[in-house]
Amino acid sequence: MLRSQPRLFARRPSPTTVEYLVSTSPTYNLPLRLLLVTTFIFRVLVGLGVLVLLCSKFARKNYSSEATTYPQTPDLLNIDYVWYFLHIIATSKAGTQSAKLASHIPATALLPASLLIFYIILLRTHTTEALLVIRGLGIQTSTSSDTFLSTATTRFIPTEKIQDIFVNEAFRGFEVRYYLVVVVEGEEDVVVVFPRLLPRRHIVEKVWRGARACLYEPDWGKEGKSG
Amino acid sequence: MPYNIAMVSDFFFPQPGGVESHIYQLSTKLIDRGHKVVIITHAYEERTGVRYLTNGLKVYYVPFFIIYRATTFPTVFSFFPIFRNIVIREKIEIVHGHGSLSSLCHEAILHARTMGLRAVFTDHSLFGFADAASILANKLLKFSLSDVDHVICENTVLRASLDPLMVSVIPNAVVAENFRPRNYSSSENGYQVAPLPQYLGPHDTITIVVISRLFYNKGTDLLVAAIPRILSAHPNVRFIIGGSGPKAIDLEQMIEKNVLQDRVEMLGPIRHEEVRNVMVRGHIYLHPSLTEAFGTVIVEAASCGLYIVCTQVGGIPEVLPGYMTVFAKPEEDDLVAATGRAIAALRANKVRTEEFHDEVKTMYSWTDVAERTERVYDGVSGVLSEADFYGYDITDAGSWSATRGRSGVQSFALIDRLKRYYGCGIWAGKLFCLCVVIDYLLFLLLEIWAPRENIDIAKNWPKKEKVDRIQRDRSKFGR
Repeated sequence: MLRSQPRLFARRPSPTTVEYLVSTSPTYNLPLRLLLVTTFIFRVLVGLGVLVLLCSKFARKNYSSEATTYPQTPDLLNIDYVWYFLHIIATSKAGTQSAKLASHIPATALLPASLLIFYIILLRTHTTEALLVIRGLGIQTSTSSDTFLSTATTRFIPTEKIQDIFVNEAFRGFEVRYYLVVVVEGEEDVVVVFPRLLPRRHIVEKVWRGARACLYEPDWGKEGKSG
Repeated sequence: MPYNIAMVSDFFFPQPGGVESHIYQLSTKLIDRGHKVVIITHAYEERTGVRYLTNGLKVYYVPFFIIYRATTFPTVFSFFPIFRNIVIREKIEIVHGHGSLSSLCHEAILHARTMGLRAVFTDHSLFGFADAASILANKLLKFSLSDVDHVICENTVLRASLDPLMVSVIPNAVVAENFRPRNYSSSENGYQVAPLPQYLGPHDTITIVVISRLFYNKGTDLLVAAIPRILSAHPNVRFIIGGSGPKAIDLEQMIEKNVLQDRVEMLGPIRHEEVRNVMVRGHIYLHPSLTEAFGTVIVEAASCGLYIVCTQVGGIPEVLPGYMTVFAKPEEDDLVAATGRAIAALRANKVRTEEFHDEVKTMYSWTDVAERTERVYDGVSGVLSEADFYGYDITDAGSWSATRGRSGVQSFALIDRLKRYYGCGIWAGKLFCLCVVIDYLLFLLLEIWAPRENIDIAKNWPKKEKVDRIQRDRSKFGR
């Protein structure tokens, strides 16, 4: 529900620049937005829960004997406030419950499991891949990363290095797919545009025509679009 | 009505061979006739993926064994997902398998029937049925032929347990352009130039050409016995013998014994592309073979404008019309007599050998083969009525097996298919049925797992532009 079939968005800030985005993000409407917010809150809650669990495990091991009491609330901007806050959580009902739970789970199981959970809650809901074409300069491909922690991987190819852009077919798994490739001068392998999503033929063709039209002579583009 | 046809075989270029060139020539001619043809074969070294050949002939080199290295899928079904994908994206209607020893072809026929497509099978094998390999091949054949719509054979050797009405005989063809006679004026510009008759004087030398592998079954012994007698009876005659084999030594002994070195020329082994250059040096082609299924070499020789003397064995009498050939019984006396008749006929200038080429071209052209294959496609897809396709009135249902739907065309219903497979043998029948059922389940699974609407339809190779379109473009450029 949170991702759709790959769709194409085109942006044309100037006549000599065009950006094609292929994304699995759906069109947002109110229920979907609510769902997104809910998932976000859920992710935060799960993340905090895992943190508390880890904390109580960690705290139980080292500081369990150290029973500090806070007679009054420390200043908000003090480091003591953090400890105070942790103390409140640990002594609360949920904290004692999680401490009990943590004592039952061995650390060898808890650490990988929590890492996995962190990875899952940090995953992006959709993938976006882009092709930016600037006449006289070159093209840039970019692919969004899996998680929120890293940024998109991009690759810039200057115009004089581009030998050709074309659509090809190849076997992939149990399928034959169409894909857009850029042949780069002096490189063994071609660069595949939209390597993760591998959108369907009509999208690939549209991007191909648009990219050629933008990159090369404008006349070419008109003819290509009409054909 | 144009069809979308998939030719499936393990054998295709870059590997050289007869089946390969058959598929290529047939596909090219079918494309010329307006059909769409794709070829599916397995990947060769350094050749994987989708390629285009001349004329927009698309070839899928399927990376067969690489897809699932980890999981050991039974090979019978591993081809199905990718085959289904290709069939859907190319909108294939008829699957045409080639070569009885190609497992890819048998698999494709099984899957094609499961998917509800028409299947045609061409048998290229010319080998017998006695040795172990052919028994195995026969069993495999029985499996895929149980459910195939139509079978095409190159010669008239029929298989057991096959309905004879399901079998067509379409002979091999010859690329006549590669076997032109000497001084042939090509009519490429559209003008048909009548070939000049070549007159032979009474004392001109007549050259007899023999090109064959020098084996017993090719009648080399007959040749050894006949050559001295022919040469002593006709003074202005020479022999050119091409080919090699165990009987070459007999020929050489004969030449030395009779001191015929200046009248018999032994060329040794000849490559196929040189055959024409040897043939055009002669006037008569002598074919003393003891057994022969088809005899492509006779057609090639006639195409080069040679008068044919051959033994009346096997399928040879059906190959060429009577006025191109002089037949002999496979014995020494008759062969000598027949050669004598041929020489006399040539000396009397009774034979218009210069016209042979054009006639052979029309008889054994790939265009003709493509036309006849197309007729088979028409027949299996129900465009032709049964009476037209099978040649006689078959309205009585008794002549057809009960498991067929429309007579002559195999019904797609799973139960009918199972019935056909079950009849294959006590154990084999059950095994085959199991395979078919699994294949069908796999098909249903694939329909869920990789839905049809998610498969892109491939773009067809652009056809040649119509004349008016070209003219319009010209006028556009002219302004």
